[in-house]
Amino acid sequence: MSGSFITYLKRSTAVMVLAAGFALWSPTLSAKPQPEEDKEALEKLEIFADIFTRVREQYVEEVTDKELIEAALNGALESLDPHSGYSPPAEFKEQREAVKREYGGLGIEVTSEADLVKVNHAIEDGPAYAAGIRGGDYITAVEGVKTRGKSLDDAVEGMRGLAGDPITVTVLSPNKAPRDVVVVREVVRGRAVRHRVEQGLGYIFIETFNNTKLTDDLTKALKSIERDLGGNIPGLIIDMRSNRGGLLDQSVSVSGLFMDGGEVLSSRGRTAADTERYHAEPGELYPNIPIVVLVNSGSASAAEIVAGALQDRGRAVVLGRRTFGKGSVQSVIPLLKHGGALRMTTQRYYTPSGKSIQGRGIMPDMLVAVAPDTGEIRKRFREDSLPNSLLNPDDTDYKENHDDILYPPEDWAATKDFQLQKAVEVLKTSKHRTLLTEQSQRYKFP
Amino acid sequence: MKYVLPTLGAVAAVALFAFSSTHQTAIAVERPSYDETFQQLELFADVLARVRSDYVVDVNDGELIEDAINGMLQSLDPHSSYVNPDDFRDLQVSTSGEYGGLGMEVTTEEGFVKVIAPIDDTPAKRAGVKAGDYITEIEGESILGVSLTDAVKRMRGKPGEPITITIAREDEDQMEITIVREVIKRQVVRYEVKDGMGYIRISQFNEKADTGLADAVAGLKKEMSGDIPGIILDLRGNPGGLLDQSIKVSSAFLDGGEVVSTRGRTATDTERYNGERGELAKGIPLVVLIDGASASASEIVAGAVQDRGRGLVVGMTSFGKGSVQSVIPLRGGRDGALRLTTQRYYTPSGRSIQGTGVDPDIFVSAVPDDGKDRKIRSEADLPNTIPNEDAEENSEETEEAVAEITIDYPPEGFEIEDDYQLQKAIEILKNGTYPNLLANAG
Repeated sequence: MSGSFITYLKRSTAVMVLAAGFALWSPTLSAKPQPEEDKEALEKLEIFADIFTRVREQYVEEVTDKELIEAALNGALESLDPHSGYSPPAEFKEQREAVKREYGGLGIEVTSEADLVKVNHAIEDGPAYAAGIRGGDYITAVEGVKTRGKSLDDAVEGMRGLAGDPITVTVLSPNKAPRDVVVVREVVRGRAVRHRVEQGLGYIFIETFNNTKLTDDLTKALKSIERDLGGNIPGLIIDMRSNRGGLLDQSVSVSGLFMDGGEVLSSRGRTAADTERYHAEPGELYPNIPIVVLVNSGSASAAEIVAGALQDRGRAVVLGRRTFGKGSVQSVIPLLKHGGALRMTTQRYYTPSGKSIQGRGIMPDMLVAVAPDTGEIRKRFREDSLPNSLLNPDDTDYKENHDDILYPPEDWAATKDFQLQKAVEVLKTSKHRTLLTEQSQRYKFP
Repeated sequence: MKYVLPTLGAVAAVALFAFSSTHQTAIAVERPSYDETFQQLELFADVLARVRSDYVVDVNDGELIEDAINGMLQSLDPHSSYVNPDDFRDLQVSTSGEYGGLGMEVTTEEGFVKVIAPIDDTPAKRAGVKAGDYITEIEGESILGVSLTDAVKRMRGKPGEPITITIAREDEDQMEITIVREVIKRQVVRYEVKDGMGYIRISQFNEKADTGLADAVAGLKKEMSGDIPGIILDLRGNPGGLLDQSIKVSSAFLDGGEVVSTRGRTATDTERYNGERGELAKGIPLVVLIDGASASASEIVAGAVQDRGRGLVVGMTSFGKGSVQSVIPLRGGRDGALRLTTQRYYTPSGRSIQGTGVDPDIFVSAVPDDGKDRKIRSEADLPNTIPNEDAEENSEETEEAVAEITIDYPPEGFEIEDDYQLQKAIEILKNGTYPNLLANAG
């Protein structure tokens, strides 16, 4: 048997395996035959099999089938959008374990002082406190590696790890010799919400939606503000600037605090049957408080869901800059036989009025900038700046109109928050009502 | 078998049947890796099918598979790629030398194609095309806004075929001129006498390099009345080209013997390339100039001259592209072609230049030492490059070597146009140090 004949057999077998696997997984095929496209796909499969075979046999170095197929899968999936990809078995296993165990820390707040890492504050129920570390101590080494000369970020990164894993840090307390302390990392829940009274109004900052206690914390914060203001909140600012999002159910329950039932968002797949609608719980905590939501180009995903819902439902004025535009949902599909997994965009988020967030974000009712207008156009990084990002099916213009943006005066101090100041003004004047009226004309909610 | 069937589903049924019959044959041949291959291909088909059914928008399967092919090949190294059928057709035209052109350098200005200069002794020059002319139409069709590549593509065609272009020239009415295309072979060898030495520059290894070199040596002999005291072969910025041309050019300076070998994955894939007996430039002292942009075929020549002790290599370390790509047509080119790295180059002493390049015998920089570590882009900097096989055992040695290297920098304020490297090369040939330096090199 000649060599080329064997090659031919292997190649044609490869095509068959591919064609067979491909078709068997496509239940929609028999219902809707698309002969032209299938023919093209099959031709391309043949080319794929041909190239696969030749690379295996002729490439200058030996390559494994696994490496080749992994690279092919990544090539195909990454061409779809920046959030889709393939995880080989080992990586997938690691990911699952990491999710289960969660990242843990030591429960300390640190700063950089005299080129050393200084502990500002050790959280009382955190593991570092339990191991005897106190505010005012210095951390001179992490796992024997000196922190001197390292950036604070690097030092902190070195201390993070999976919860349950121990870490040895060298601690220097005033008037004591340096000592090694073993701390077992724990999941330390940072505060997801910060609140205060701002010029007689309620102010709430939501840093992340990656916290299962967020809605509870938010409710407590509102109660606290109510108390501080003597039982009446005249206006509320919800600040979600640079909030990268997090848990979907938290975005639904947070929205639910400010609306009496009704739709918060829907997620839609390729076909109408894939649509899922998420509703707020009936009953609203503070139905009459005027609200301003602060957003910027760093507000993403869950933050956009809340801003979009409150805007569409006419519940709040959104102020700031157009948001990031991450409105797609990735499903992790385990490939049972192989142990790996496929991460693939399967759905998109839609606001209650039916607008897709993906690639566009939420356009504020009032565009307000942080810094004075210097005349130069600063490019903001958003979802649609990512190469090959999934486009929005609605192609109507969605650019921030420069003339509509309110800039702080030239001598505005960088330390003062212009967007927050404008939010306060809107809540304290009739501007809030005007903006809500304009909003209701723009967004017609069915 | 033929795949002219209505749906993939039907194909699958047939394919599965056929699969079972070929399976046994395959087992007999190669059992162990077969199961693994089968599993991997199945995985691939699995994922593709999921994307097809569940991705958030409709996906073109053909494009998806092409992206997979590109992903697979890009993971190998920066030079392996898939050439689709259209590009493959173009590639064949441009490397076989079969295409005809008009013979001018063009650029774009304000949406029009502008002539930089017609090349001497070409149809464009003879037809009276002048530098600064604008080409506004090709065959009566406006090319306003057409990309330069597309415009050039349209002007190219079979040699002997006429083409009509419309030319706009300042202060004159537009005119149509008809030009008959010719095969344009760009002159890649240039020579002149510099400070009493023969200077030959090869800018690219196309099919005219060897004859150009022979003409250059003959021309220099004539100008210097039969006696060339030394030759400087300038390969700086030469990105390479044809392998056989690099062998022919090396042959001019070597009396037979090995120039280069290429080795594939297994020992049986080794091929040795020898120079022809008889040396064109016999006995003439030789300095080869290289820099970080001398790649591939240039490195073969520099490596052969260096390893065989035929001349001094002067300049900076070369690019380090020591791999050979084969262009493998798929189904006779109907499916395009696969450009695949199949071999590495080795110099006569057995060094692989992949990633490391050729180090000159004498390091001379073109620019003054600015205190910064001048990093010239080389193969080793490309993402995902093929490693040098010898790298591991060499690494220690290389580190020491780096410490020992002394680079001759031009003094501050030296004009780049004055070409410090060339001046040094001439100096070496003139001041009598050449024989000693050559004896000590290597």
